[in-house]
Amino acid sequence: MTPSSSIASPGAAPAHDEHHDHPNYLVDGTTIKSWLLTVDHKRIGLMFLFWVLLFFLVGGIFAMLIRLELLTPGPTIMDAMTYNRTFTLHGLVMIFLFMIPAIPAVFGNFMLPLMLGAKDVAFPRLNLLSLYIYLGGAMLALWGMLNGGLDTGWTFYAPYSTHTTTTVAPVLFGAFIIGFSSIVTGINFIVTVHTMRAPGITWFKMPLFVWAIYATSCIQVLATPVIGLLLVLVTVENLFGFGMFDPARGGDPVLFQHLFWFYSHPAVYIMVLPAFGVMSEIVASFSRKNIFGYRAVAYSSLGIAFVGFFAWGHHMFVSGQSTFVGGLFGVLTMLVGVFTAIKVFNWVGTVYKGAVDFKTPFAYFCGFLFFTVFGGMTGIALGTVSLDVPWHDTYFVVAHFHFIMVGATIMAFLAALHYWFPKMFGRTYHEGWGLVSAALIILGFNATFIPQFLLGNNGMPRRYYEYPERFQALNVASTAGASLLAFGFVIIACYLTYALFYGRAAGKNPWRSKGYEWLTESPPPTHNFVGPQPTYPEEPHFYVDPKKAEVPDAV
Amino acid sequence: MQSSASTADGTVAPVPRLAMHFASLEVQNHAARLGMWLFLATEILLFAGLFICYGCYRFLFPEAWAASSRSLDLTMGTVNTIVLITSSLTAALAVHYAKEGKNRMVAIQIFLTLLMAVGFLVIKYFEYSHKFHIGTLPGRYYFYEGIQLPGAPMYFTVYFCATALHGLHVIIGMVVLTFSMVRALRRADFGPNNYTMVELGSMYWHLVDLVWIFLFPMLYLV
Amino acid sequence: MAIANESRQEAHNMEEHHGAGRYWLIWGVLLVLTLVTVITGRMHLPSFGLVLALVIATVKGTLVTLYFMHLIDHRGANRLVFSVSILFVLLMLAVPLLDLGTRFRGSNPPGSQYSDLQPPDIGANVKEGRFGGGVRSHGSHEQSEGH
Repeated sequence: MTPSSSIASPGAAPAHDEHHDHPNYLVDGTTIKSWLLTVDHKRIGLMFLFWVLLFFLVGGIFAMLIRLELLTPGPTIMDAMTYNRTFTLHGLVMIFLFMIPAIPAVFGNFMLPLMLGAKDVAFPRLNLLSLYIYLGGAMLALWGMLNGGLDTGWTFYAPYSTHTTTTVAPVLFGAFIIGFSSIVTGINFIVTVHTMRAPGITWFKMPLFVWAIYATSCIQVLATPVIGLLLVLVTVENLFGFGMFDPARGGDPVLFQHLFWFYSHPAVYIMVLPAFGVMSEIVASFSRKNIFGYRAVAYSSLGIAFVGFFAWGHHMFVSGQSTFVGGLFGVLTMLVGVFTAIKVFNWVGTVYKGAVDFKTPFAYFCGFLFFTVFGGMTGIALGTVSLDVPWHDTYFVVAHFHFIMVGATIMAFLAALHYWFPKMFGRTYHEGWGLVSAALIILGFNATFIPQFLLGNNGMPRRYYEYPERFQALNVASTAGASLLAFGFVIIACYLTYALFYGRAAGKNPWRSKGYEWLTESPPPTHNFVGPQPTYPEEPHFYVDPKKAEVPDAV
Repeated sequence: MQSSASTADGTVAPVPRLAMHFASLEVQNHAARLGMWLFLATEILLFAGLFICYGCYRFLFPEAWAASSRSLDLTMGTVNTIVLITSSLTAALAVHYAKEGKNRMVAIQIFLTLLMAVGFLVIKYFEYSHKFHIGTLPGRYYFYEGIQLPGAPMYFTVYFCATALHGLHVIIGMVVLTFSMVRALRRADFGPNNYTMVELGSMYWHLVDLVWIFLFPMLYLV
Repeated sequence: MAIANESRQEAHNMEEHHGAGRYWLIWGVLLVLTLVTVITGRMHLPSFGLVLALVIATVKGTLVTLYFMHLIDHRGANRLVFSVSILFVLLMLAVPLLDLGTRFRGSNPPGSQYSDLQPPDIGANVKEGRFGGGVRSHGSHEQSEGH
């Protein structure tokens, strides 16, 4: 296959009338089998979307149960053991089944080949396999949850997790299997980025979402095997008691924490880096401006992925880890803040003097910016050893990681869902409802977690189902906020489902975005392009010629 | 890229299938190799977890480590090392012959590899059964009177976890290589530009060897 | 098209015919090194014994990766992937060791050389640990209560 001679300049559609012969991927094959056994990255992405949303619902139900339980100081709707199981399952489902695959497996799968001008990912069959590994692991984990559940918290610290009588083994083994899905996806994306870029797309002409997904995939490949091994070790410990982390047998539980956080700290970036990538696309698209500092944003994705591996000990400041290592990790943690700040400044620089089109994705961008900055700043505070000691395992930590990890990821997930909805389904949603629900969700999220910051600062520990009377007002506020949040999600579910079937036809590029993925039809045909492979002479996010932008009043 | 290079057998090597989404066969092979290297990197990090457990507990219990390591059968360990290194040689030769299109030789070399893999597992079985007999077992199952040092059961926890995981990889590697062998016999279509399957299987096998090269001195020669 | 060049270079290197002699040579070196490591290992060298064994193992491993796994014929990304994985293994090893070496003695596992606490049950015919060990083995009635 040679590079195409017909150069399609981005933005200007290559004219073909033959797309009637090339049905879009949604209708090309309508049997169940054509979906279940597809190797088309777009269909796999959609199937991931379905399951990921389902598990988000499950995790959300657990979250609401937790908030209901904490409505009153005493037992409200469940006993202590059920509460322990509920927050464990909330964490496990949300992290392993929702947030880790949410953006990479859904939007990464769908958009990455489109953004690289490729017809598919490098290993399409492995891609399908990763979906079924994910489902298999999820089923095993859910089976374990239904058959008793576990009460260890999602961190399943040894030696408690190796001694508890709840069903640890199947759930952890399920998580182990899901890890394979994550690894396969990561390998697939890295190889795709290395080998499948279309003529014209050099490394520094890749869209920023691709950079973010690439950095994420590197973390997935390097970190996931460690948690895989650890999950197996804990499962074996739980079943047979070899004593690997049992202090009574000379084992060191802190070593368990080292291995656990070696994965689980970078896992935070598995969740949040794709969110950064989505936002880099959206901010350029809706500010009608070239991204400010393209290289800085691209490099900082890799930088976060790299320094993310040097910060894990900040989860262990009170674990018995040596104070020297604790201090070292405290300092290294600040590096993450540096790279994140680079991104934040560049996004703000992009919006500055842009012709902002305040649509739903941009509304989520605003929420995202707030959560990232506020969550990130509390993270810097928590990364300071002396401050972490009193805050450790209080609701301050809970609120912090919900802000930075969940807040940023959810904002980006919803923004991506709205931004790429026309791309994926060829229809548009109702803009007014979109803005209303975005407002509800951002407000609800703040109302849920800002009281938790205050609670934590007042000393309420996490993972207890009861609390003293004096915390009730803030807990009620938090539960009220969570209800608002849930209401926002219900609205989204309603209007997006409606738009899926009855939405207006979107046209090829409703946002007039200059992203590479918008160069094909919306929804794209089965092999992504009609006719010869397009080439990409222009940079992505190219809205204004920088030279013209220098002239005052030219924008 | 020669699409119809004649092989040593005089037959025409079939053109391998180029998946429609790759630019060229070279890029496709490149992608396959890169994917395999990434997968091997995950395997290295998987074993690394156990190496770290080993390193930390050796740091904490040096005496128990030395004593327990000497209770192992060094002869069996050395023989196993030689067996595995030699099997790695035959696996590498299989790729060599696959490139030349000598499918019979490919099958023979892989068969030799599998034979040595079985030999490795048999020797490992004897080592294991000896340990079950004298009681050098992990954690709370430990009942060996010979070494009464704190940390000795931990050594055997690490020993059994590491060798069992390695043994599992030996078995997986055998399955992978068997597929290549069957294909070399049935379809006999390996040739100068179609040997990726043998190459990747062999890479996996070398990784199994690589891990053992490190496990052997760590476990037997402290 | 950097990728095409890289792929072509790699394909070219892989096609270059070396003859089987190279593999036999490497095999011979590996056997010799195995012998060396066994002999030096049996001497039980005091402090640098493990270091020496690991150095030999690293040399052997390098030979296997470079020649058997053909890393010497590969360029760019493949080498990067491999070296990054080794780098992270070293990182993951260094930090816990640093932690154990500098930790408050009381939080090291009892019985270890960096702890002043009594050695725990090491298992030999003793079912009960001093520090709450063996919960599962002798606590069968506790387990039945849990259900």
